[in-house]
Amino acid sequence: MSIKKISKEELSQLVSTLIASGDRVEGVQAKDDKFAFGPLTSADDLRLDYDVTLLSPRKYVLPPVESLMTFEVGGRYQSEYDTEKLTLIGVHPYDMIALNQIDQVFSQDEVDNHYTTRRKNMTLIACDVVTPSENVFASSMGTATVSEGYDILLTDIGDAYVADAPTEKGQALLCNAADATAEDLAKRQAVQERNQSDLNRHPLNCKIEDLPQLLEKAYDHPVWEEKAASCFSCGSCNQVCPTCYCFNVQDDVSWDLKSGTRSRAWDGCLLENFANVAGDHNFRKKRNDRFRHRLYRKGKYVPEKLGIGTACVGCGRCITACVPGIANPVDIYNTLLNDIKL
Amino acid sequence: MSKPRVAIFDFACCEGCQLQIVNLEEEILDLLGVVDVVEWREAMSEQSEAYDIAIIEGSITRPEDEERIKDIRSKASILIALGACASIGGVNKLKNNFDLNDVKKCVYGDAADMPHLETAMTKAVDEVVKVDFKIQGCPVEHDELTYVLRSLLIGKTPEIPDYPVCVECKAKGNICRWEYSEQCLGPITRAGCGARCPSANNRCFGCRGYVDNPNVDAAKDVFEKYGLTVEDLKSRMVLFGSKQGPTL
Ligand code: SF4
Ligand code: SF4
Ligand code: SF4
Ligand code: SF4
Ligand code: SF4
Repeated sequence: MSIKKISKEELSQLVSTLIASGDRVEGVQAKDDKFAFGPLTSADDLRLDYDVTLLSPRKYVLPPVESLMTFEVGGRYQSEYDTEKLTLIGVHPYDMIALNQIDQVFSQDEVDNHYTTRRKNMTLIACDVVTPSENVFASSMGTATVSEGYDILLTDIGDAYVADAPTEKGQALLCNAADATAEDLAKRQAVQERNQSDLNRHPLNCKIEDLPQLLEKAYDHPVWEEKAASCFSCGSCNQVCPTCYCFNVQDDVSWDLKSGTRSRAWDGCLLENFANVAGDHNFRKKRNDRFRHRLYRKGKYVPEKLGIGTACVGCGRCITACVPGIANPVDIYNTLLNDIKL
Repeated sequence: MSKPRVAIFDFACCEGCQLQIVNLEEEILDLLGVVDVVEWREAMSEQSEAYDIAIIEGSITRPEDEERIKDIRSKASILIALGACASIGGVNKLKNNFDLNDVKKCVYGDAADMPHLETAMTKAVDEVVKVDFKIQGCPVEHDELTYVLRSLLIGKTPEIPDYPVCVECKAKGNICRWEYSEQCLGPITRAGCGARCPSANNRCFGCRGYVDNPNVDAAKDVFEKYGLTVEDLKSRMVLFGSKQGPTL
């Protein structure tokens, strides 16, 4: 299908229709002086001009807490799946790329059916960035624009949106829209080119492909110890990160002491007991080991495992979330680049 | 199989945590379906000589309390400290920052010298006897209390959070109080309350005590970064952090 154009009024009507259908619709809205994804009850609340959301849309594919199964102690169990239809509106390109990464993680090797079931029932409407956030550096990470994963990608060209719908789900929503003109497409390209250079509050001094090689030589660099000295091990940098996907599994029984629920909740590699295993052995006991681990995950381990450019998509959320102000990945990579020859 | 015998005792406290047990409402019947409560001053007159689980509320503030808690310990297989007073000393530890004679005069005035008003430095229960599990909070959370009891009843070690309040706060999508320069103690305070205070737009004042390994140096750095002093940090930590684990 060719690329479409819809007026702001038409988008508003489309969102109203979705809400009226009774299906679950969530989108970006103001939350005090910030923005957050939440249930949409009116199309007027949707804010596609937002800078960044407090939490990333990861919370929809991997909720903070979810029930995996119910069981009888010593008896049968029953897996639980979330099959609710959900339309999510307003995913920025860097977050879309993060979702694509987590999709890859949960569908390779042992497929996680809880994840894939929920994901299949989602319709994703992404949008190009209108307002850069205070800490975004997506331009440095090659994540300022996105070319796959969404059902619709909206680009604000002033009086209207250019709407690209590569999937059937997306096309069904845009069936009444007019085709975009060459002029509209030129405007869209201008927006995307601007974002590819301007979403860059913290410029990285190397190419992302160089990060694995840089980190290969950086394991014993003093920066880990220096920064980790003021680390609370609070895990906020993990919790807000769109590409962090670790979880912990816990059981609880009801008062009959027989029937129970197994659930999983977000975990984070910065937390003290994250690497605590059977026998009370913690293989990343020291603060700086945990602090270093996250930056290795983002710049080396995950990219190498998934065959992707980088597992930090430059959303800048960890920079804002870290109370002592030590979590900025670019800060650390650039410090290493000053000292280490590639 | 006979039901485990549970006894509930109070020491220096406001009895707010016992009230949380009363407040379980329907769940209290579920609880009574699986345990035998053999002693509970707030709710019954019987006393018992042996119990499987002793639940202790309140902190130890007098010499005779030390003897009493040792006696309870000797009769219990599992001893649980319930709430901030029992687990960390709680608000009662504030008095440890002052001369005890001044404290007595301030509270009791002319009657301060009466023999029954003798007092000692406040101790958390584990400063006197071994504590098997601590349920934190001022007051404790229903869900954590019942989860711990159910876990013990099926012979499973309950998982009590050793991560900071920030984890639960972030999961809720709250705006960090530090963004408004409010001195939230969440990064060094043990989670489990679902980040109650930040979720209601207040800073955390640390009622659940510290995580096992709080980075107090980092807290000092942060206070300095925000143009505050170590004295400011101390004043924030004094309510629940007095003479508790790491002090400044
Ligand atoms: S590491 Fe930080 S900047 Fe990078 S994706 Fe995660 S939260 Fe965003
Ligand atoms: S947010 Fe900052 S203080 Fe907290 S764990 Fe991450 S790096 Fe450490
Ligand atoms: S912990 Fe708090 S609520 Fe519980 S008894 Fe002590 S002061 Fe009261
Ligand atoms: S408001 Fe407090 S508990 Fe919440 S993230 Fe900020 S410091 Fe942590
Ligand atoms: S947020 Fe802090 S002060 Fe409030 S209930 Fe939780 S631990 Fe206590």
